[in-house]
Amino acid sequence: MRANDCVGRGLPGAPVSRRAALRRLGQVGGALALGGALPALGPGRARGQSASPIKIGILLPKSGPYAVQGENGHHGAEIAVDDFGGKVLGEPIELIWEDESSPQASQQRMRKLIEENKVVAVQGGISSGDVLAVMPIAAREKVLFMASGPNATEITGKNCSRYTFRVDLPNRVTVRTVYPTLSEFGKKRRWYFVAASYAWGIDAYNQMKELLVADGGTVLGADQAPLGTTDFSSYILKLRQTDPDVVFLGLGGTDLTNFLKQFHEVGLTGKVTISSPIVNDSDLWAAGPEAATGTFPKLWNYSGHQNTPRSEQFVKKYLARFGQPPEVEAWQDWFAMTAILTAIRETKSTDSARLIQFLEEHRFEGYKAKPVYFRSWDHQLIQPTLVAKVKPRVTDRWDYFDVVGEYPQGGTSLDAFFGSKAEIGCTLGPLA
Amino acid sequence: MSEAALLLSQVVNGLVLGFLYVLIAVGLSIIFGMLGVVNFAHGVFFALGAYFALSLRPQVGPAGVFVLAPLLVGLVGMAVEATLLRPLYGKDPLLGLLLTFGLALFVEELIRTLWGTVGHPFDPPRPLSGFLQYGPIFVTRYRLAVLVVTVLLLSAIWLFLEKTPYGRIIRAGSRDPEMTSMLGINLPRVFTAVFGLGTCLAGVAGVLAAPLWSVVPSMAEAAIMPAFVVVTIGGLGSFPGAIISGLGVGVAVSLTIQFWPAAAGAVMYLLMAVVLLVRPRGLLGERWEQFE
Repeated sequence: MRANDCVGRGLPGAPVSRRAALRRLGQVGGALALGGALPALGPGRARGQSASPIKIGILLPKSGPYAVQGENGHHGAEIAVDDFGGKVLGEPIELIWEDESSPQASQQRMRKLIEENKVVAVQGGISSGDVLAVMPIAAREKVLFMASGPNATEITGKNCSRYTFRVDLPNRVTVRTVYPTLSEFGKKRRWYFVAASYAWGIDAYNQMKELLVADGGTVLGADQAPLGTTDFSSYILKLRQTDPDVVFLGLGGTDLTNFLKQFHEVGLTGKVTISSPIVNDSDLWAAGPEAATGTFPKLWNYSGHQNTPRSEQFVKKYLARFGQPPEVEAWQDWFAMTAILTAIRETKSTDSARLIQFLEEHRFEGYKAKPVYFRSWDHQLIQPTLVAKVKPRVTDRWDYFDVVGEYPQGGTSLDAFFGSKAEIGCTLGPLA
Repeated sequence: MSEAALLLSQVVNGLVLGFLYVLIAVGLSIIFGMLGVVNFAHGVFFALGAYFALSLRPQVGPAGVFVLAPLLVGLVGMAVEATLLRPLYGKDPLLGLLLTFGLALFVEELIRTLWGTVGHPFDPPRPLSGFLQYGPIFVTRYRLAVLVVTVLLLSAIWLFLEKTPYGRIIRAGSRDPEMTSMLGINLPRVFTAVFGLGTCLAGVAGVLAAPLWSVVPSMAEAAIMPAFVVVTIGGLGSFPGAIISGLGVGVAVSLTIQFWPAAAGAVMYLLMAVVLLVRPRGLLGERWEQFE
């Protein structure tokens, strides 16, 4: 109404109706969102370079609760490119990193990477919700998607896709890795659950609850917490009253850090066992030696005797370049990028169909104690897992974990540990 | 524990959390009330408080940090007002909004560059660790300290605004800047001071929140949303409104976690929507001529 003729009276607090201001704000927000989706300065090839680079898209968070993992994952991928001397098939390798911020935005960026940047493959994905959202796009556009960091079981289960491979562990495997240690083989079975209220957290809860209940355990309580929760004090107040043996969290990133800090605040650190289906070293680095606690399943740990010379080499290179040891997400993206580049080099092709066929058959030796491979019928990376416990006294800035167990144990084969065809329920579609 | 006792303990927990929300929001409210600037960069001043504290703690200790870090944040705020915001007064209010939005992104990136993406540990001062329990009421010493500090600060600000000549100038300036400057008041200087005060309060909140929440570059985002919600519910620019709504949001979040945790993230927005439907100006938002 009067907004316009009032503007510019020459003083701060320049009058404007709130409604008008909010409307403008909406427009600005829209414009900013649009700007993010616009192509990055035209087609990448028009750069006056004679060589046309081989482009690989990276979809990892630059902001939000998983920003740290995003950065470390990107670092890992850079080391892999460096291992190849920055080139494959005689062409320079170019990584294009887009933000993974929400399922919808990630879909837009996935399309942008494929349509505008013409990437030959995309890797990344930490939030399972985002990964499940972009998988159909990879399949429709017939582009290889190497999911390096999500854990929801269905990604290589009932929602599996011929075009998607997964490096990280499904919850189904992480819970089976850690349950025996957590329950002290059946002695501690009164559990409380707090899980992030999205695909991964809910799946983590369901998977672990199934194991616990089948073992005769009790679920004292199960609460959902929105992703990005800063204050868990009310949750902790609730769970404290039930006096649990184990608190099983479906939390990661800053959510886990916040929880650990506030758990320490109420003096429960070390008194009640904490666990989560997966843990990032950086979440504990941020919580600090006093607040850090827990027993976790872990895909990889930079320290410990279980590391192969090849992984040790990666640790050395990473440490020299980035001034801190690689956390597990860095290893995952290093491996993911290595797998893509190996496939390109060996098939002498950037055609996704050929890369996929290669990945379905290849065995990667020297990365873990046993050879690891993507299972041909569900595209899950089949690999040994670790149980890691936060050291009773952390003295090093980075070295927080003692590896206390390696799984599978007791003669179970790797393949069986990751579940049979009937248990997984994945049917891959045809290529092309 | 009985249902009533459980309820009581969650209400107390929510009130303590609410005071933290009030502390984050009150600076935002003061700046809007006086300058009419919707300060999107409020969250990064909050983050700067925590990061300054992080860097200064080894030298000056926890008590020194509590004074020094917010003052530094206030100084940064004053510099920002004097150099970046001042030229925009009287122009389209959208410009101030865009500037602070851009500033928020810039400072967050700066924090990332200077202090790294990885979070930093920040433990509460030793004497304040541990907790107290009276029947069903359970509160940690640190949160109790935060509550006491917040109440003292809010009282001091209230006294300053209501009982001192400076406060009168600020209130007059926020109602009618034109008239106030005609009376010979050097308003630009007052504005710089007010922006400094508002950002300094964000800095205090940042220092106090550092032992509770993750100290990461993205902590700004975590702080700014509840702050905006609290200010909107309370009524833009209303000091008592921000207090009532901050405590209300804290209790609402706590009780939702008790009974329906999955909705904990949505409840404050729901509360805001309901309040805006019933009272579009917010709870204590008055009809101010210059904002109509």
